[in-house]
Amino acid sequence: MAEPTPAVEIKGLVKDFKTSFRRQMLRAVDDVSIRIMPGEVYGLIGPNGSGKSTTMKALLGLVAPTSGSCAIFGKDSLKVDSRNDVGFLPENPYFYKHLSGAETLRFYGKLCGLKGKHLDDRVSELLALVDLENARDRRLGGYSKGMLQRIGLAQAMIQEPRLVILDEPTAGVDPVGSRQIRDLILKLRERGITVFLCSHLLEQVQEVCDHVGIIFRGKMVKEGRLEDLIAIEDQTEIIIKDASPELISQITALVGNSTTASLVRTGKPRTTLERLFLRETTQGKDS
Amino acid sequence: MKAWQRNGILLAALLAFGAIRLPLEKSLGDELRKDGLVPPPLEIGTRDKIGQTSSAVALGGLRTLVATFLNLRAFSFFQEQRWEDVADTFEMIVDLAPRTRYYWETGSWHSAYNAASYYINNSSMPSLRRKEAWRAAIYRGRAFLERGIRNNPGDWSLLSTLGFMLTDANKFPAFRDPDATFITAADTYQKAVDTGNAPAFVNRAQFYALARAKGRETEALALARALYADPKNRLPTLQALLLVLEAHENPALDTAKLAVELFGTPERALEALSGHWQRTRERFPVDGVASALGALEQTLAVPPEKSIFNKPLQVPSGPDQWFSK
Amino acid sequence: MSSITEPIARGSHFNRILVIAGHAFTQLVRMKVFYFLAVFAVIAIASNFFDLPQHEGPESIGMNVLRSIKSWSLGTMTLFSVVLSIVATALLLPKDVEDRTLYTILAKPVPRFDYLAGKLLGVLILVFVSLAMMDVLMTVVLQIRSSMILTQQIAMAQAQGWPQDAIESLRAETAQHGPNWALQGAVFAVFLRASIMASLALLISTFSTSTLFTTIISFLIYFIGHFQADARDAYLQAGQAGEGVFARMTALVFSLALPDFQNFNVIDAVIEGQAMPLMVLVKLSLIGLYYALFFTIASWFVFAEKEF
Repeated sequence: MAEPTPAVEIKGLVKDFKTSFRRQMLRAVDDVSIRIMPGEVYGLIGPNGSGKSTTMKALLGLVAPTSGSCAIFGKDSLKVDSRNDVGFLPENPYFYKHLSGAETLRFYGKLCGLKGKHLDDRVSELLALVDLENARDRRLGGYSKGMLQRIGLAQAMIQEPRLVILDEPTAGVDPVGSRQIRDLILKLRERGITVFLCSHLLEQVQEVCDHVGIIFRGKMVKEGRLEDLIAIEDQTEIIIKDASPELISQITALVGNSTTASLVRTGKPRTTLERLFLRETTQGKDS
Repeated sequence: MKAWQRNGILLAALLAFGAIRLPLEKSLGDELRKDGLVPPPLEIGTRDKIGQTSSAVALGGLRTLVATFLNLRAFSFFQEQRWEDVADTFEMIVDLAPRTRYYWETGSWHSAYNAASYYINNSSMPSLRRKEAWRAAIYRGRAFLERGIRNNPGDWSLLSTLGFMLTDANKFPAFRDPDATFITAADTYQKAVDTGNAPAFVNRAQFYALARAKGRETEALALARALYADPKNRLPTLQALLLVLEAHENPALDTAKLAVELFGTPERALEALSGHWQRTRERFPVDGVASALGALEQTLAVPPEKSIFNKPLQVPSGPDQWFSK
Repeated sequence: MSSITEPIARGSHFNRILVIAGHAFTQLVRMKVFYFLAVFAVIAIASNFFDLPQHEGPESIGMNVLRSIKSWSLGTMTLFSVVLSIVATALLLPKDVEDRTLYTILAKPVPRFDYLAGKLLGVLILVFVSLAMMDVLMTVVLQIRSSMILTQQIAMAQAQGWPQDAIESLRAETAQHGPNWALQGAVFAVFLRASIMASLALLISTFSTSTLFTTIISFLIYFIGHFQADARDAYLQAGQAGEGVFARMTALVFSLALPDFQNFNVIDAVIEGQAMPLMVLVKLSLIGLYYALFFTIASWFVFAEKEF
């Protein structure tokens, strides 16, 4: 069986921007190549201004490459029909404040050619998916940041695209909202939807992505499977609950008896601040 | 595509697009101007006078709105009897809205009627100056109306208004040659009739003007006969003038007999001709009227003290009386 | 999940343009644009009171007030439609770019032409609907007032013993100043002029960076457009009398590049009671369409290459 068409195929992308003065060219993206196969969740990470957003815009045809090419499921990004199979959530999106949540989804649905009952069903389904059924008829002007991000995600999904592109999906969102979004991304992955996201929040990328690329000053520095990239091959971690001091000393002794292995460290694992915050706030909500 | 290439193509397309539409727009513009559907460009003087803001509004396609506004201003000038300001304002108004008959008629009326009467009664000026001011106001009103007619060819009402002014007993004494004035008035009424839109009274008014012009009696008689053929035109003034013109044509005519034929009964003939006899200020000709009246009074046995010849005529009223002291 | 593998119907250009137009219309309506209609109602009713004491006979009773109603109403319509066309068009595009809503729209399978045409159409629908409402209001006011005037005129004419034919002529003339087809044509001409301005503002906004710039330039062109033809004729005639080549070329470039609104002054003639031949309206419509199409295509030409 032939290899399936990649969901995203960026080949040797270069993008120069003209700076206002002295005709100096600024190279925002320098020879970046990315290939994402269907079903993958790919995280592009890098500091602000490293070329993440420009890469995504080029993939969506919002900017034209200086050289190189971008394609979505084999279709050139500069052509309109490449956008049939993609949903996009821009960084800090502002949707039309005068529309309600449902109206927003209907608007984008109609733009994709959906109509009638199919559209109504799709709108309800997505509102349920992003947990905004209660805010269905409220105008977006009254939405919180997290709600906006979620309606944005629903909007990106409206025509059931096979690829979803998310630019800093959790920027400026509080941890609860951030986790909701993370859960949504995981749901997308379960459904077999390819996700291409970029972020500078490493922890978040680590939690959801299976493939990662690191971009710095326009250049791709490192790329590959997340597990391959971050695993410390020669170490093993054991986490034990309610261990008695005797058990610990027995294990330590066992390790000491080994000729090849050595003990690096013992201690109590710490929860992350994020996890602590989430535990406290969700408990507070439940009670 | 480079930015300069794109801009170049755009500019070229813009000019080419302009070159295609230019002749079309020009021909439509010429057609509209010919039909009087687009007013001529604003005079620079008007732009200056109405002020920057109003000019901008007028240039923004709202000329009639500015005219409406100025008309209100002109009315307050009129109430304050500031005749120069009234005239100036109407100059601007008609420049903005040259196709509105009302402005031409009102502007000329303010000058030839209101301003002129004001000078008749203004005792603060010496009589000679009042007379000159009176005459100038009438001339100005006439000239204004004539300009309106040139701007609105085919408007019967403006023509008829001018004819009315030229035959008005209070106005024609301002012009040097009454006969020439009456002829002009008749020609003006004729043009109004020629537009095809004028009601029948304009035709009669044309005749009343012509009947007063010395030397045009034959022409007037032909017109009188033609008008008389239509029963709707048989009004006392027209009937009396028909009699006068017949008598002028044939001095030996038995005018009393004709009067009875025209008016039906001797009583009605006497009443109508008496009225005609007394209207001296309008300068209607009276050939044969005296003899007809004499004969009719005899027929009806009118006592001498009640004879029309013993009743006073219209009190003379005109520049000679107004400006005598 | 079968639908994922099926090709998704993209819908026609026309449908998409309508969706975007409908949205732009809603957006403007929710900006409370229609409150202006209340102002218009006040103006239409107030213009009834600009009635001056009249001179002479029945023919001039109230004619002035009919003209006043028309010129105030059409004047307000012109002002409103031009301001709305320019400002709304100048506002909608940069607002979408600034709020990044444009990204979400263009990231859908929406050709850029559809987006532009939709925005323009939305503004035009709004202008058309508002003008139609104002037109109805004006026609009602005019109808009531002109029938009142006609009754007065005829009563006075009969009291003065006018013959029937004179009364008929008077009636016909008053009808010319009442609500009639020429007046509807004039309102349509107001709409046409507004559409030209909207499409021009669209073109300017595709390469301008601010709403303010687009608005100012558009208004400037609007005013120049009204005497552009005069300047052109004056220059061309002066050229024959030995004017410099440079001046003539400048005049030519000006008249080629800027729109000519002179012919729309036919609206003034209608206010003055002239009849507008149907052919004139047809020609004006064609000219309006020609401008709107050209400007829209030119906007697309710039916008298609634009990067965000």
